[in-house]
Amino acid sequence: MTDIIMGILEEGLTYAIMALGVYLTYRILNFPDLSVDGTFPLGGAVTAVLLQAGANPLLTLPVSFFAGAAAGMLTGLIHIKLRVRDLLSGIIMMTALYSLNLRIAGRANVPVFSRETIFDNAFLDKWVPAGVQPFLAVLFLFLIGMVMKRLLDWYLGTKSGFLLRAAGDNEALITSLAKDKGTVKIIGLSLSNAFVALSGCLYCQKSGFFEISTGTGTMVIGLASVIIGMKLFQKRTSVKATTAVIFGSIVYKTCVAAAISLGMAASDLKLITAVLFLLILAVSSGRKGKVTANA
Amino acid sequence: MKRMKQISAMLSALGLLLIAASGCTGKGAAAGKYAVGIAQYAEHGSLDNCRKGFLAGLAEEGFTEGKNLKVRYENAQADGGTANQIADSIAAGRTDLIAAIGTPMAQSAFRAAGKADIPVIYTAVNDPVAAELAREDGTPTGNVTGTSDRLPVEKQLEMIRTILPDAKKIGILYSTSEVNSISTVQEYRDAAPAHDFKIVESGISVAADIPLAADQLLAKVDCLCNLTDNTVVSSLPLILEKADRKGIPVFGSEIEQVKIGCLAAVGLDYYELGIQTGKMAARVLKGEAKAGEIPFKVCKEASFYGNTAAAKNLGISIPEELTGPAGEMFDRIEEHQGKS
Repeated sequence: MTDIIMGILEEGLTYAIMALGVYLTYRILNFPDLSVDGTFPLGGAVTAVLLQAGANPLLTLPVSFFAGAAAGMLTGLIHIKLRVRDLLSGIIMMTALYSLNLRIAGRANVPVFSRETIFDNAFLDKWVPAGVQPFLAVLFLFLIGMVMKRLLDWYLGTKSGFLLRAAGDNEALITSLAKDKGTVKIIGLSLSNAFVALSGCLYCQKSGFFEISTGTGTMVIGLASVIIGMKLFQKRTSVKATTAVIFGSIVYKTCVAAAISLGMAASDLKLITAVLFLLILAVSSGRKGKVTANA
Repeated sequence: MKRMKQISAMLSALGLLLIAASGCTGKGAAAGKYAVGIAQYAEHGSLDNCRKGFLAGLAEEGFTEGKNLKVRYENAQADGGTANQIADSIAAGRTDLIAAIGTPMAQSAFRAAGKADIPVIYTAVNDPVAAELAREDGTPTGNVTGTSDRLPVEKQLEMIRTILPDAKKIGILYSTSEVNSISTVQEYRDAAPAHDFKIVESGISVAADIPLAADQLLAKVDCLCNLTDNTVVSSLPLILEKADRKGIPVFGSEIEQVKIGCLAAVGLDYYELGIQTGKMAARVLKGEAKAGEIPFKVCKEASFYGNTAAAKNLGISIPEELTGPAGEMFDRIEEHQGKS
């Protein structure tokens, strides 16, 4: 039982960082950014290659972060400078990144089982008591997740972050402040994809291998996490949106785990997952309805 | 205070869901009973045969499903994230052994089972060394072993030469995202010159690329050689139809592909591979050896499969020396059944 919960928390917290990135573009910037399907495995590819080369696992975190930022910036440049529609610029970037990821990684599947990762290395083996070892991954992912959440919260409170929020709600306001809305969007996309690639980096280290196909459907998982999170906490104004998104990601992974554990026919897995989402969304909507009726 | 209450309510709701879910997972088996979790990467003819063979192999050694063996079967539907969660879920339940089918699934299972020290037996892993499931000398990297489905490339090339004495160029269609295919293409590239062949390859990224890639490839080659690439195999009927129209023979790599219209193949029988794997698993369950002590096996026996109906369509005759006692011939082209 604890193993199952640990598994879900590991998956959920890893994807939560990606979901924070999707939250930034989808909810704040109002930009449906499909390049995340490419930047998530980009983080993994960069990480796998660095670990194979014997780099310090800690180094993979900033390198993935900036690789993602660069890719996001390109999506922004395609959108702003070449005037390509938002959805399409994401698709272009995602398509290009597929080949680029294969180039970076060298092949479609790169194992790092035998390498040191941030979750499994000689230092931890030596200093952390064996009893705590199984919980290390969750602890680390929680800490990294918190740091990234705080970072995002802090950024959204700065002047640049304020402009970003305005870019999603009211573009005219940006122009009236004599700021370039294009630059604001590019910054937003960079930051978002940096989060996504960092999540891909953690995912690769956690699962012990990079696999090109893990990118497919990242956007869908991100969107589902954001929407579930926002929906669950919509009446709780005291809960920050970023916190809600992290919970959303964990709930998403719980749904998948529950669908697996329900032991249905293999082909029905996605259907069960979909039904569970629907249930969550319906239940949280129902509660909102009642509250409104009482008010 | 209010916020704390709300969050704790959320958490307990989450917990309830988990408990409801876990109630259905493997309960502790009674004494003398064994529990095996089978995790399969994709739903696919060859992999399904592996699984059936695996259970048959276990049964031959006295482990029969429903009698003294409890089997839990999960399929990741070719989704890496799901594969990880399935591996976690199986490793968390009470299980004596995990059988993993397909490379990414084997890697996920290896990681998940490592924590709980559950032995992993894999199959349909093309290159266990490249997947870091085994070392160069064939010894396992952990409590994990199994069977490789490496294709008999040399024998296949010899067979193509026997059927098509004048052919020069062999076309291979494969997906760039499947690591098994990439290493097999490399093997073909290395082995082809010795048989006086040239390999023309075409890499695709999604199934939708296949029609265009097939057309371009067919214009350049004397025959096609099909691998066990999941994406390409699922579109094989389309490729066969295009090749048929141009009168170009298509060679397969396993029995199912010949059944649906490939001219011939020297290939693996995945059911047999599964049986071998099942027997390996039985040794581990009986306690005769630990998974970590058994080197992985490459299926050595390759058989010839030919399709006389396909040969007739192409106006080619399959030489007697190939169809001999070991070969298996099919005289009709079956509808494509496999779903992938």
